Amino acid sequence: MTDFLLAAAGFILLTVAIGLARILRGPENVDRTMAAQLLGTGGIATLLLAAAATGVRGAEDVALGLALLAAFASVAFVTSVTPPSGDDPS
Amino acid sequence: MSTTVAIGRATLFFALWLMIAGYRLADVPVGVAAAALATWASLRLMPPGTLRLRLWSLASFGVHFLGQSVSAGIEVAWLALRPSMPLRPGFVTWRPRLQSASARNAFCAVSSLLPGTLPAGSDDDGALLIHCLDVDQPVADNLTAEEQLFGRMIGHD
Amino acid sequence: MSVADIFTVVAVGAGCFFFLAGTAGLLRFPDSLTRLHALTKADNLGLGLIVLGLLPQATGLLGALKLLAVWVLVQLSSATVAQVIAQALRRRGPSS
Repeated sequence: MTDFLLAAAGFILLTVAIGLARILRGPENVDRTMAAQLLGTGGIATLLLAAAATGVRGAEDVALGLALLAAFASVAFVTSVTPPSGDDPS
Repeated sequence: MSTTVAIGRATLFFALWLMIAGYRLADVPVGVAAAALATWASLRLMPPGTLRLRLWSLASFGVHFLGQSVSAGIEVAWLALRPSMPLRPGFVTWRPRLQSASARNAFCAVSSLLPGTLPAGSDDDGALLIHCLDVDQPVADNLTAEEQLFGRMIGHD
Repeated sequence: MSVADIFTVVAVGAGCFFFLAGTAGLLRFPDSLTRLHALTKADNLGLGLIVLGLLPQATGLLGALKLLAVWVLVQLSSATVAQVIAQALRRRGPSS
């Protein structure tokens, strides 16, 4: 089971890395904010799998922290690069 | 009324904190402080009475939402892995019927995980612009049906 | 291999498939807004399946609850973030 979970973690890390390479090509910074979203889900999945495989304590807490930080980072970045306007559904 | 809400929320936050941090007597003061701060923030950002959840509808909406989010994932996977990639992306304007702004915002968040739709802001007279993967689907009708279910859950029907 | 282990292998394997599909969408979809669909929907389902698959391997009820808490938080944050990014992309206008 440990080997399977580690292999799955490695596989997801690979898909995240490939996706990240695409996103970082942009063309603009707004397009790159999606990197936070990708790391927010893919990174967390990798961490959770690795935590279950190795039994390292605290890895779930890192995943929780990453979940929160990814959300804050994207919102903060988007509001900093786009001009304020009345158009706001969220 | 608002005291009951505050105590209820504080209990919830403290339970969440215990779940994440684990129970150790020496750490409890930190948890109490964290729960107090979270309650303060939640009362400021979401005053009592903005959303009234009905537990039974919440459960049935949750099940429905899980199903929809699975089909959203399958739809995207199908589109992305098919050689022909039959995408017809574009914007659809859709007018929400929910009255309160907080209910509308919550529904927007839900709809971004529904199949094929992604709210992308509103135009000048309050209609939402929904980005879709396939503009030939009856996107507006589907959203209206979802909105009705959602409204029932929060007691806005 | 126990029933719980088979469940884990199936669910985690399905989760991996959706991460692969999400990345395929990122590489193949024509513009940033459509890519955002791929990212939010496929990867979310992938994470959900992985959390589901890890539940039988969790250490006790507390571990399982923590896994579910991570999943709920990611759902909430990605639902919010996706529309904020979509709005920013739309205002920027269609350039890619």
